[in-house]
Amino acid sequence: MLAYDEVLILKNVSFSLRKGECLVIMGGSGCGKSTLLKSMIGLMPPQEGSIQIFGENLWDRNQEEKDEILKRAGVLFQGGALWSSMSVFENVALPLELFSDLGEKEIKELVLFKLSLVGLSGYENLFPSELSGGMRKRAGLARAMILDPEILFLDEPSAGLDPLSSKKLDDLINELKESLGISFIVVTHELASIFEIADNSVFLDAKSKSVLARGRPKELLSYTDNPEVMSFLSRNPID
Amino acid sequence: MTCEEKIPRLEYKQVENVLIITVLGKWETSSQERIRLLERWESLLLQWSHLNEFKLTCHDSIQWDSSLVVFLIRAKKDLSKNGSQFSFFKLPAGLNKLLSLTEINPSKLDLAPQRKSRVFSMYLKNTTRPIEFWGSLIISFFKLFSGKSVMRWRDFFESARNCSASALPIVTLISFLTGLTMAFVGSVQLEKFNAKIYVADLVSLAMVREMGALMVAIIMAGRTGAAFAAELGNMNLNEEVDSLRTFGISPISFLVMPRVLALFIMTPLLTIYADIVGILGGLLVGTSVMGFSALHYLEQTQAALTNMWEVYSGVSKSLFFGLIIGLVGCYKGIYSGRDSVSLGKAVTSSVVVSVTLIIIADAMFETTFNILELR
Repeated sequence: MLAYDEVLILKNVSFSLRKGECLVIMGGSGCGKSTLLKSMIGLMPPQEGSIQIFGENLWDRNQEEKDEILKRAGVLFQGGALWSSMSVFENVALPLELFSDLGEKEIKELVLFKLSLVGLSGYENLFPSELSGGMRKRAGLARAMILDPEILFLDEPSAGLDPLSSKKLDDLINELKESLGISFIVVTHELASIFEIADNSVFLDAKSKSVLARGRPKELLSYTDNPEVMSFLSRNPID
Repeated sequence: MTCEEKIPRLEYKQVENVLIITVLGKWETSSQERIRLLERWESLLLQWSHLNEFKLTCHDSIQWDSSLVVFLIRAKKDLSKNGSQFSFFKLPAGLNKLLSLTEINPSKLDLAPQRKSRVFSMYLKNTTRPIEFWGSLIISFFKLFSGKSVMRWRDFFESARNCSASALPIVTLISFLTGLTMAFVGSVQLEKFNAKIYVADLVSLAMVREMGALMVAIIMAGRTGAAFAAELGNMNLNEEVDSLRTFGISPISFLVMPRVLALFIMTPLLTIYADIVGILGGLLVGTSVMGFSALHYLEQTQAALTNMWEVYSGVSKSLFFGLIIGLVGCYKGIYSGRDSVSLGKAVTSSVVVSVTLIIIADAMFETTFNILELR
């Protein structure tokens, strides 16, 4: 159960994620998607229940143990959340400098590789304020991937991107899933992305504050008898 | 997987003039064995420098992360450097995909020339912006009197309240303590000449001529000027200033004018208040420590201030101080960058620049008054 003080956000939410799978958390605005994500990445404790990552109960651990678990995961925040006093290169390199024994040359190679994956080669010396919203997001993704996480949490990755960039990002998610076996938990309500990347999904409902449907979105679209899920997936408002 | 299979390693076999390199083991960024292997890489390159064809593959059992991709990119670059032929073969499908993704994303920007021109344009902007700002403010000021200004009086009164009534506690405290301290310091010196009563003259003249205006200005720079810079900087960061511009609303008229006008009007009023409170601070020392009656002390103060120019000069200075603080705070805020670091810099800079300009202006006023024999 998730709540802000007395205000209940979500209850009875349960799902699991397999290695190399992409799970999309979807639902209308205000249904608690981002709150659920915050809880999974250690920023907001659930009031009841548990969140298990790599078989470990995240919220039963002390801060140090929690940090160790979270180091195996990467997070892309909605706006990229780049550190504004650092260049793109420094932003992506910082986790490696802090948490690895790699030399300068190898850190540089890894950073340039990750930046090239997200299409930001050549932009490494720019500062966040000099980047567009989409570029900040891509740089944020490169930073989230720098420690080769086993799970990537992405908050609205396609929001604010042009359709082509959004498609490229979806392709990249699929490539990373297949090649590096990274698992993804993606919070989004961009339908095109949902159908492109999701192996599984949970549909959150703002009214009942719980899961309304779960399954592969393409299949959900064909078999769901829930009018709200159908309305959402087919972009067809209920009269 | 056996222990040996977990260690990242390279196997190589020479067939005539071709070297076939096979990558094996578990390639992980954090692996110390992998780091040691890469340390030997340069010496391997020297060892193979006479060969002119290289083929690289990965063993079926290989386990890998980004560090292997980076190694393959490096191997390709190093081994094809001297015109040698290099090719990958039988790489795992995922690895091939990632390598192809890095190839279609070549460096897009030559940053050096762009940076040079950016530095120049930044200097140009820093020179022209204050002029543009000052010009826009003067235009807004005239619009205000012609009734065409978009300034909301509600904003003016809100700013006026923020920089006057809300500032009273801190102004009271600082001014009272300033008067009190001057009285203490003066009493010790004047006692040597048996002229203790002139403490009243010292405190009152210092307060109305200098200290009242100066202390209020410094408080306002640290309190209100910084708040203006932070407020407008944050609005700039959140594109609120841009949204005003898109509606054709001048941010100078709408945001800057009410704040500057409020400070311009309220700083002299606060200065008069600070003068009075400072004199009361001196009175406390005069009556409780030095043994004068309150009436005697106040009569001496009145005698010291018979020339009202002493009071007017301090108040007139404070008008300019208010203007300086308002202008600097708003300028720094409205032209701050669009990130949190720039916002912090804008706030700091607004205080530093305001205080510096206030001290310079004060020195100029005093010099001018002396030259014109107004003291």
